[in-house]
Amino acid sequence: MDKKIIVAIAIVAVVVVGVLSAALLLSRDSKEGIVKYVTVAPADMKGALSTGSVDAYIAWEPFVSDSVVSGVGTVLIWSDEIMPNHPCCVVVVRNDFTSGPDGQDLTKRFVKAHVEATQWMLDALADDTSANYTLLVNMAIQFTSRDATVVESAFGHIEFGYAMNASFKSALEQFTEMYIDTNMTTDEKLSERGYSSVSDFVGEYVNTSYLDALASVTPSDTILNPTSPIKLGYLRGDLHQMAQVVAQNKTVNGGVKSLFEKYGLNVKNATGAPFANGGAEMGAFAAGAVDIGYLGAPPAILQHLNAGVGTTIVSQANSEGSGLVVRAGEGIVSLKDLENKTVATPGESSIQFLLLKIALEEEGLKLEIKT
Amino acid sequence: MSQFTQALWKFVRLNWPRIALGCSSVVLFVTAWWLYSAWLHAEWPFSGRTSGAAEYVPYPRQVLEALIDSFAGRDPVSHLYMTSHIYASLKRISVGFALAFVLAVPAGLLMGRSRNAGAFGKPIVELFRPIPPLAWVPIFLIALKFFWGPIAIVFLGIFFPILLNTIFGAKSVDPVLVDAARTLGARRRDLFLKVVLPFTTPYIMTGIKLGLGVGWMCIVAAEMLGAVGGGVGYYIYSMAYTVGLYDRMYAGMIVIGILSVLTTGIAGLVEQRLYKWMGMK
Repeated sequence: MDKKIIVAIAIVAVVVVGVLSAALLLSRDSKEGIVKYVTVAPADMKGALSTGSVDAYIAWEPFVSDSVVSGVGTVLIWSDEIMPNHPCCVVVVRNDFTSGPDGQDLTKRFVKAHVEATQWMLDALADDTSANYTLLVNMAIQFTSRDATVVESAFGHIEFGYAMNASFKSALEQFTEMYIDTNMTTDEKLSERGYSSVSDFVGEYVNTSYLDALASVTPSDTILNPTSPIKLGYLRGDLHQMAQVVAQNKTVNGGVKSLFEKYGLNVKNATGAPFANGGAEMGAFAAGAVDIGYLGAPPAILQHLNAGVGTTIVSQANSEGSGLVVRAGEGIVSLKDLENKTVATPGESSIQFLLLKIALEEEGLKLEIKT
Repeated sequence: MSQFTQALWKFVRLNWPRIALGCSSVVLFVTAWWLYSAWLHAEWPFSGRTSGAAEYVPYPRQVLEALIDSFAGRDPVSHLYMTSHIYASLKRISVGFALAFVLAVPAGLLMGRSRNAGAFGKPIVELFRPIPPLAWVPIFLIALKFFWGPIAIVFLGIFFPILLNTIFGAKSVDPVLVDAARTLGARRRDLFLKVVLPFTTPYIMTGIKLGLGVGWMCIVAAEMLGAVGGGVGYYIYSMAYTVGLYDRMYAGMIVIGILSVLTTGIAGLVEQRLYKWMGMK
């Protein structure tokens, strides 16, 4: 018995050491022409960069400015240098909501308030000495829990806007084609949802009629939906989605009513909002918990095609505003220098991932999951 | 071979009522699942309006197809085969288990047998035990990086069941046995190796089996972020949140279930062997 125990302990020790060393050995390898990626939440990217877990990351604001302002990283390339005016966040509406009582009218009014809020932001940002600029920065500080330096730096790289022109649609077509190429969605799914082609899908899924009808929407003295508020979805601290913060703020519109209220809307945050990511928000759309929401275009497209979540894009929220951040002092000065390095991305379907992939392919580099 | 088939036949003949019961629970579950899915899809035997949640609850057949597909081809998100995901997850579970075992068993024996060690360790154990592994994800990912971060999360899940069972086992050693051994002239070392350890072994084994299950429960949290080389948990998370392919997500869940059954089964076999070897059965 005595000896047996010692033998057993010895065997366990050998197995443990063996497993650990094998795992360590197998975790290192390198290939040519490959940039490795790993999925990290944007909030954790700065930490991962500063500890050296990753050599670079691509994310949206304010997560880019986070690292730049604190000196941890520098921006190698802004997303608009990869694809000018690329789409980013959009306003999505649930189809069952628009087909419900007053759904069309309420959505029109929502889009009107969204457009006015966006215009207010553009005016405020145009003059950084104005009172509205200070108000906007303060709202953003509260919304993102960042300081003024980070917020102001981030605003410099986001293009707020609402129009959905031909280049917006063609970019969404390009993204959808990329998803089909990598099997994230398929032609079968496309036809299962009743679309004959990618351009047919984007043409249907992007509905500009609400933007076209803006001129006909007038302010309302009374709240039109007092008992059934519009359930609003948005992502946590996402500066791209500032329009909904602005539209809910009373000071913006003179102090008595918010922009939503000006157009007769009772809007409240959906159960579960703010959401951690667009996939979770689309789940809430499917459950009927969100009526109108702000999120990135990719999860809206993918979850609509793959999981059949009945939604439509009714307005843009912003374009651009993402950046590829590299570790300061590492000597990474071009995309080529990223070969064999590890880049953190927010996920394989994100616009940031697609843009990184496009940029690397132009340099003859392939993006592969880190092993 | 014939000996094996004979043994198998004998096992089936002796245990057929329980085998049938086990199978029927699985059949019952799959039938209920199929009915629920058909109800949401508003297809036979139901009718009416298709629910928005229908795509979220695919038919068992669709999940089976997705399961086969995940082994036959690369997945659409990370372009890895299911075997790579299984390898990555098994690596995390085995390293996490090895660490948990090596640390929890001695710590548990010590805390169970020494009152001072127990008093010293208890507050820390009780404080940290209820913290969900998910809460540690950001910290572990940054502090321990991508290799050890996910392992640490699995480790936490496995560590506490083994530790608590070992403490409980070591504490419940019959004092009469200890006294008897002492009367017979056993020294501390003999007492530990011949009385305490054999008595505690069944508790440790229960802890291991429980811990492995909890370890698999933590795998999605562990692989949600920074999952280098993929992983079954990463597969589940990305199929749901990244692309919304829910049949594949369920396929991943089934893979985890099977892996957990296999690892716990191996622990059970080791347990049987150990008891035989120690002369307990």
